[in-house]
Amino acid sequence: MNQIRIPQGMRDLISEECEKKEALKKRIENVFSSYGYRPLKTPAIEYLETFTNAYVDVKDEEMYKFFDQEGKTLALRTDMTVPIARMCASKFTNAKPPFRFRYCSNVFKVRHTFAGQRSEVTDCGIELIGCDSQSDLEILAAALDTMQVIGVKDYELEIGNSEFFRSACTAVQLKADQIKTLASYIDRKSLVELQEYLQTLNLAEGAVSFFEELPMLGGREEVLRKAEEIAFNDALKVEVKTLQDLFQNLKALGYEDHISFDFGKVPHLDYYTGIIFEGYVGNVGSSVLSGGRYDSLLKKFGRDLPACGFSVKLDALLDILPEERKSITQVLYPRGKEVEALIKAKQLQKNGAVELVEAAVKEVEVKA
Amino acid sequence: MSLSIALTKGRLENKVGGMLEKSGYGIASLQDKGRSLVFHDSKKDIQYFLAKPNDVITYVEHGVADVGIVGKDTLMEGGKDYYELLDLNTGICKFILAGMPNNNPLEKVGHIKIGTKYPNVTSAYFHAKGMEPEIIKIDGSVELAPVLGLCDGIVDIMETGTTLKENGLVVFDDVCRISARVIVNKVSFKLKRKEINALVQDLEKARD
Repeated sequence: MNQIRIPQGMRDLISEECEKKEALKKRIENVFSSYGYRPLKTPAIEYLETFTNAYVDVKDEEMYKFFDQEGKTLALRTDMTVPIARMCASKFTNAKPPFRFRYCSNVFKVRHTFAGQRSEVTDCGIELIGCDSQSDLEILAAALDTMQVIGVKDYELEIGNSEFFRSACTAVQLKADQIKTLASYIDRKSLVELQEYLQTLNLAEGAVSFFEELPMLGGREEVLRKAEEIAFNDALKVEVKTLQDLFQNLKALGYEDHISFDFGKVPHLDYYTGIIFEGYVGNVGSSVLSGGRYDSLLKKFGRDLPACGFSVKLDALLDILPEERKSITQVLYPRGKEVEALIKAKQLQKNGAVELVEAAVKEVEVKA
Repeated sequence: MSLSIALTKGRLENKVGGMLEKSGYGIASLQDKGRSLVFHDSKKDIQYFLAKPNDVITYVEHGVADVGIVGKDTLMEGGKDYYELLDLNTGICKFILAGMPNNNPLEKVGHIKIGTKYPNVTSAYFHAKGMEPEIIKIDGSVELAPVLGLCDGIVDIMETGTTLKENGLVVFDDVCRISARVIVNKVSFKLKRKEINALVQDLEKARD
């Protein structure tokens, strides 16, 4: 039975889908190349340790794992950022930063059975390694240009700042497990649980209303002003200022129509250290682009460099993109005239794809 | 932009329908529906459809529905990839731990067996108490399991307690309160922020 089935979460792509995917990949990679990013490849299989080293909370059940000849645990890569951080820290030990890397590779995650999700997706992205937050503007501009070449009019890049939440937690002296619980409620905008949980923490009134408002602190430019109002100390005001400055610069570059903010964006706190952002397009139920600053990741692999990057999950977009129309010229020929047919075909191939078709004709014919 | 709302079929459908009507939504077609499953609001640019509780979550997670209205019991047992914006304070009941009198699983020494339709809720509840029972998944009439001796107790939803009483079971502990919640697809919340906020505010008013 298994010979005609494919494992849960895997997909076959037919030619039309491959053509769409290739065209999209090309458009995106053109943007990456134009910003000076150069390609990299890493192995699909890494040691499990590489990922457990990088993330504090590795979701073990989401990884495809197996053993090598020596009994060491291997894993299919779940993202490209960690392998690139590992590669950069170990293979570019003496090279002078910054490094601009781009990649387009398949990544793997075990998904719930029958949930309609893909376990293998193509991740197409960039990493800018060795530049601090001063380069955030460049990364965001590249992300916005990438969103634009996807080819959907209705898109939005939503920017958050993980330091805003972290700094507030430090100011009110929350413990690590409390921060984790609070972050999960805020990130999922579970307003009911959030309010209940805040009651148990015995915080000052200003801090309670700050955390209560955080999940809904999203929207266009006006959110920056609201964030400034609820920022209860100088450190928080500085974090708002960072985003205000970024917005002014993005506005100067003409991007303001596609930008929104969400101060309640607090995912993977052990990983992101500054701006975080996600791209959305109409009619796709999950984010299609995601990224952020991760200044403390490379240190874990032995070279302390700041970094920022993002990636696009190509597969999520295939359903909403139109088919690539490709005309193929046909060369019709009768049996026995294969050589003439190929001579004709080779001449025409300079202008585009040509398909040989054996037909009931007397001489070689061209059909556009 | 138009909104699509997935409503949980059955008991919740009427209660939430009432709240929407009170807020000035045109849901006459929902109340007089026959067998159709998709309805259009006669006053606003909204499409409603009816689904089983678990499917409401699935539709919202995939973004096929922008908004879903579903009980906390289903949310606690299922996926987490959505925003949960509002407690509608309707469809109220609770998760309880029950069993045969004089056989409280919380006081038992040794291996404990718990029957339930909600293995994740049960596991989280006992885990918080530092206990690790064996969980047996049962699909219907959970009350039967301890009576027949399949397990030491059950974790289930209780509304009035009549079914428990009629089967000779007693409640040992309240696990948590349950009510209807409004969940929203993460991308819809960004791209249809205005429409969704208006809906949430209307429902909030109808609730209070």
